Amino acid sequence: MIGTSFAYVPRDDEAEKASNSYLMSVIAIMVGLPLPIVNLVATLFFYVANRKSTWFVRWHCTQALLSQVTLLPLNSFGFWWTISIITGPESVSSNFIAYILTLVLFNITELILTIYTAIQTRKGKHISWWFYGALTNLICKPL
Amino acid sequence: MKKVIIQGLITLLLFTAVFLGLRQLDWMKVLKVEKIKNKTEEKLGEEVMKAVLENSNEIPYPEVINPLDSILDVICEKNGIDRDKIKLHVIDKNIINAISLPGGHLVVFSGIINETKNQNELIGVMSHEIAHIQSNHVMKKLVSEIGLTAITLSSGGGEAARQALKMLSSSAYSRNMEKEADLKAVDYMVNAKVDPEGMANFMYKIDSESESEMNFDWLATHPGSKERAEYILSYSKGKLKDPKEILSSATWNILKKKLKNSDAE
Repeated sequence: MIGTSFAYVPRDDEAEKASNSYLMSVIAIMVGLPLPIVNLVATLFFYVANRKSTWFVRWHCTQALLSQVTLLPLNSFGFWWTISIITGPESVSSNFIAYILTLVLFNITELILTIYTAIQTRKGKHISWWFYGALTNLICKPL
Repeated sequence: MKKVIIQGLITLLLFTAVFLGLRQLDWMKVLKVEKIKNKTEEKLGEEVMKAVLENSNEIPYPEVINPLDSILDVICEKNGIDRDKIKLHVIDKNIINAISLPGGHLVVFSGIINETKNQNELIGVMSHEIAHIQSNHVMKKLVSEIGLTAITLSSGGGEAARQALKMLSSSAYSRNMEKEADLKAVDYMVNAKVDPEGMANFMYKIDSESESEMNFDWLATHPGSKERAEYILSYSKGKLKDPKEILSSATWNILKKKLKNSDAE
């Protein structure tokens, strides 16, 4: 995660909207657990609603969305593995516990980063994440 | 673009490395998963057994208990099953049913003993229920039907245990689980040198008598009995050359007579 300067200084309302895109996923995580899709849908909804907004807002909505999109397959795999243990012939194993712990570790890291970024963007600071920031730069261009 | 790909790959590698690193530990031992699971199941089994005994009593007669114990001993011994893990209860109730409960409780109602024509039919029923216990079907059924709350039933008290009992004694296991238990039961019987045809015969019987007014609860939990009787016969064909009986005819007759007398009382 790198704090960099954006191409322009965002206005206060832009900073608020950009910050909300991260908050959206945090709130959705609280509501949607353990379903891995809810936070993605919430972030996607916020992204669509702001797709014609200013560059700063769009950039942060995109970064928030991308982080959720990449976590989705990993979380979904863990979710269905759990369901197959509950309903199917599989049983709890060390592999399963290791995978769930890895998921928890990555999700918690992502949650902390999201909260931190929400706070910083609200102050108008531009926070670009490792990998997601670079990917967002490729996708999100000024209108 | 190159930077994105490299960073993406590093992130993916990091995830894989963390997973592989965590995999090195035997989490089942570290978290004492088996111990906790067994303890929970045991407690849950005790609660459900209490619910069984709320409206009925265990049969105290050695003439009934001992032969069933002998059957269980032989089936367990010949199949490498830990006998201490299975707790047999013979319940004085005129319902044609036998159920396996969490914690290895095997409940046989007097009604089903009365309904069996010979010991092999009863051994078939008992082997089938033992197979459910050994394959951990009981907890799987509970958890899949009433969700993860099943795990907390052990502390939920009477009402929760009654619900679990109702579910275990009145609804069917999945088709796959039934087939697995049937075939395992055939293996148990063959290893104990008991003719599995008895189990198939009992299946035919409950299928043909299901239209009658009899209280065939075992049918509700074991649907499609005719089809099952057929695959039991085809699976067991030629597996056993020299069948033997676990109980002597005299012991079997005394058992049946004692149950009839206790019903009359």
